[in-house]
Amino acid sequence: MTGATVLDPGTASIIMFGVFFALLVLRVPVAFALGLACVPIFVIEDRLTPQNLVQETFNAYNSFILLAVPFFLLTANLMNVGGITTRLVRLSRDLVGHFPGGLAQVNVVLSIFFAGISGSSTADAASQSKIFIEAQRKEGYDDSFSVAITAVSAVLAVIIPPSILMIVWGGLLTVSIGGLFLAGIIPGLLIGFAQMATVHVYAKLRNYPTYPRATFFETVKAIAVSVPALMTPIIIIGGKIFGWFTATESACIAVLYAAALTMLVYREMDLKGLHHALLETGRLTGVALFCVGTASAFGWLLAYYQIPKALLENVAAWGMGPIAAGFFIAGVFLVVGCFLDAIPAIVIVGTVLEPLAKSVGMDPIHFAIIGIVSLAFGLVTPPYGLCLMISAHIANMRVVDTLKDVMIMLIPMFLVLALIIIFPQIPLFLPRLFPPGTL
Amino acid sequence: MLRALTRWYSRALTWLLTASVAILIFPVSLQIFSRYTALIPSYIWTEEMARFFFIWSILLGAMVGIREGTHFVVDLWPALNSRAQAAIRVVASLFVLVFAFVFLWWGIDFTRFAFNRISELAELPLWYIHLPWPIAGVTWILFLGEQMWDDLRVVAGKARPPPLTGPEDEIRGSIT
Repeated sequence: MTGATVLDPGTASIIMFGVFFALLVLRVPVAFALGLACVPIFVIEDRLTPQNLVQETFNAYNSFILLAVPFFLLTANLMNVGGITTRLVRLSRDLVGHFPGGLAQVNVVLSIFFAGISGSSTADAASQSKIFIEAQRKEGYDDSFSVAITAVSAVLAVIIPPSILMIVWGGLLTVSIGGLFLAGIIPGLLIGFAQMATVHVYAKLRNYPTYPRATFFETVKAIAVSVPALMTPIIIIGGKIFGWFTATESACIAVLYAAALTMLVYREMDLKGLHHALLETGRLTGVALFCVGTASAFGWLLAYYQIPKALLENVAAWGMGPIAAGFFIAGVFLVVGCFLDAIPAIVIVGTVLEPLAKSVGMDPIHFAIIGIVSLAFGLVTPPYGLCLMISAHIANMRVVDTLKDVMIMLIPMFLVLALIIIFPQIPLFLPRLFPPGTL
Repeated sequence: MLRALTRWYSRALTWLLTASVAILIFPVSLQIFSRYTALIPSYIWTEEMARFFFIWSILLGAMVGIREGTHFVVDLWPALNSRAQAAIRVVASLFVLVFAFVFLWWGIDFTRFAFNRISELAELPLWYIHLPWPIAGVTWILFLGEQMWDDLRVVAGKARPPPLTGPEDEIRGSIT
């Protein structure tokens, strides 16, 4: 194929990446910049026309797997409107409120619960910043600490299943989504515990307040009230793993369940709330998945010129082992995650690095978890750390003033990432409990 | 007059978007219930219908996203005054406009190409789901035209800039 193209891979990649970055600087939306970067190639190349661009975006959207994304968003939106969050705050407080830095511990634990229901970190950052930052300020926590812990705990939402990033990764790189869901559980919990340990140290050093221990009876009551909400992840993950439903179907079941729960059991959902949840879901689905289409066209052109192979030829010559390759992959995703949204990053960088992971014999699920965790950390690193920007905005602070605490909190999280790279058993333990072929 | 039209049109698009998200739930639910209960026969068209409405939801959402300015942008500029910001927006809009023309022009070909074809399972005319591409092109041109007109008036100093939006509004385009 390469012999017959008008442009050689080098020129084509210079045009594509050059146009893309130039347009980003000019503040063209990422989705459109990706599409526009392909246009000159489709015009110049004899065998291609811009109709291929239209066709590639169509192929990307014509996917039953990606349909799970709006369903997961709708589940989270229904639960937010329907009063689930307040019940989970109560439960978290009864469980960990008596630890040093009680309210900040509740902040982390609520993120873990929320992560099991929703797959969206920005939604988590927005809703929890409104709950916690003002409350922590009143109890005497430093503002920069409050913003930092809210933002870094929000990233758990894309690591603990269900996760929108895992759906996109599994759909585009054909990896088992059930396997990814299982693989995310232990790394996500480890990162959550690392954050709780960080809060503990801060609270001891700075004398942050703590709550009296909840009575056994109170805790049991809080658990009982929250059980229906906490069933959601079990339905989604269980239904997928035991093969009752496909990923999309289990997401649809979650929507029906959340709707029934908020309307019939908790009775906090009205028609207005329902309309709001549907519309918000449509808006987010549109802008986020539209980007998948243009990123796919971009990725398709990279593959057409075999650019990933050319890029990796140099890297392959370094002779890396699996662990070195793991750190290299994490490094690339961390850097890209600072500048790009996670979904286009998966479409473009994931496909570029896949042959490298394969050549060093890395398990595709291990590769995916390294990528997703690294991209999740990118959500709190500037210049484009979305979760941090949201939290800082709600707290009325500048991002720069929170960076020191964010960096301190990231250190234990990086240690967990290093453990995940060095010991593939951490993510792979749960998926390997299931015989091959069942996931 | 023209403004009333775009306002009315975007409201209609928003309603269509809400409706298509709501409709998505039905074929997928049908598919599950027909597999596990004997109440309804298992229809073969459910998956196809779900994908059809999914494609429409994505492009309707992308159209509304241009009007509401929620498409994800990377901002590398220092804080600028409102006139300079309006000027950058005009430049960025010009490029998006180019992309809108690509979608319109080749989207028409794409739709025409599918005129005589039907889908594999439900045997629906395929142009039903190719149609959103040219429609997206036209819609973007309309909305961008309105925004560029407003921004040019700000650049020329003839109008007050719109109220500043916080980062929370700007970054709604991301779901991760």
